[in-house]
Amino acid sequence: MVHKDMTEKVSIEIRRDLYDKAKKFIEEQGGFSSVEELVEFLLEEVLSSEEAEERGLSKEDEEKVKERLRALGYI
Amino acid sequence: MLGLDSLPPSVLYEGMDGGGFTYIRQLVEEGQKWLMRTCHPPITVPAWMVMFTGKTPGELGIYGFRHRRPGEFDYYIVNSSFIKTPTLWDDAGKKGLKVGVYGVPPTYPPRLVHGFMVTDFTTPGPDKPYTFPPWLRRELESRTGPTVFDIVYRSHDKDRVARDLFHMLENHLRQVEYLATRKQWDLFVYVEISVDRAHHAFWKYFDKNHPRYEYHPMYSSVIPRVYKRIDEWFEKLHRKLPKDTIIIVASDHGVKPMKGAFTINQWLIEQGYLKLKDSATGLKPGTDLRRDLIDWEHTIAWAWGGYYSRVFINLKGREKQGAVDPKHYEETLRQLKRDLERIRGPNGEKWDNKAYTPQELYPEVRGDAPDLMVYLDDLWWRPAGTIGWQTNYLPENDRGPDDAVHDWLGVLAVYDPEGTLPRGFMGEIRVEKVKEFIEQLIYQ
Repeated sequence: MVHKDMTEKVSIEIRRDLYDKAKKFIEEQGGFSSVEELVEFLLEEVLSSEEAEERGLSKEDEEKVKERLRALGYI
Repeated sequence: MLGLDSLPPSVLYEGMDGGGFTYIRQLVEEGQKWLMRTCHPPITVPAWMVMFTGKTPGELGIYGFRHRRPGEFDYYIVNSSFIKTPTLWDDAGKKGLKVGVYGVPPTYPPRLVHGFMVTDFTTPGPDKPYTFPPWLRRELESRTGPTVFDIVYRSHDKDRVARDLFHMLENHLRQVEYLATRKQWDLFVYVEISVDRAHHAFWKYFDKNHPRYEYHPMYSSVIPRVYKRIDEWFEKLHRKLPKDTIIIVASDHGVKPMKGAFTINQWLIEQGYLKLKDSATGLKPGTDLRRDLIDWEHTIAWAWGGYYSRVFINLKGREKQGAVDPKHYEETLRQLKRDLERIRGPNGEKWDNKAYTPQELYPEVRGDAPDLMVYLDDLWWRPAGTIGWQTNYLPENDRGPDDAVHDWLGVLAVYDPEGTLPRGFMGEIRVEKVKEFIEQLIYQ
């Protein structure tokens, strides 16, 4: 099931020159069907690291860091 | 902003650099010099984040790399998600400035910034998403090779340590030069960890005042060569930056010779604060203190080693097998403090020990703080947490060779090409005031 928040749209304002540049890029290169789609894609990409940040380190990664810090003598 | 991890004032201001810093020294001489008084504890994590958030470790709730949840024996490691306060670059981004952040501990996992970020030596590995924006990683690697986050420097194979050290430094310098010259930024913060690693691995070959000073035709030149390489690289980079760029050189703490390590848990055992189970015999030197070795019913306190010691009281109601009644907590702390401060050196000499409760040091104590924070002989002796040793005084660190301990004073120097700042030596600045100081430079 698609979450309601994933279908509902909102409007934001961006700089005209950036919008024109993006529109020209899409018309010439394709890849995206609209500036909206490009913006959504970029935001998703960018926010994926923030989501990872919120989760913090996985158990496995934390063990790797512990091992390194032990070797470094911090702990 | 060029952050040189663990650079002491003697090196940058007093010429104890083995001839390494020529260009940077000249900038510093033409600018403003401060002695940067670091935080409690004087350690990379939390010191850089204290500098960049303006909050004390107590307010951040970060007292080192590792922490312990109440009632647990094992520890967890902090990462960027523990920093809940906006940093210098978060606030700058909000004001519309573009920022670049490279190597500031702890910034892994990377966070959204108004610019770009490459994380620091606490990154689990180069296969992880360590940049912001995420696609910067591939771009950087294709131009500068795989990112090197750290080296193993506690090794007796000093030739290898030196090789790895310069390999890492070159990798960072290439990456930072690429970012600084190809990307747009108004504020760029770069912390170089190689300086700290060079100090820990080679300080006794460099500092003639080290109690175990030793001249070595190759090792004695490592630290000056690290300084020189950074100096030459920076001169070249500086010439490519806009003429009005303000340059700040800073460190998170200083460094001094390590006199030895003191086995803090063995001392707690001798003093009757810590009791091992009768079955815990024949322990090898350097054994970690494990939960199963401890006779919890008869244990009042235990400790962690590191650059400072954290002591935990076995408090009833908080610890799984607590033995100290809460009504005796304060009295126990006071007695333990007195005893810790009375520890003397290997020849009975008086030590300048300090034991603080976090409440004594910070306006607010958040997160998982220890009961006591302990410095032995004003940091000259490193507390060792391991047990099984024949003596409490170890000539070397318990976790592999290390020549240096941290010191309270680091550096903060500002070069303003437009000459609007008073020049010369300005006195001391506390690490938690540095953010405000830099913001005044940027926004006024």
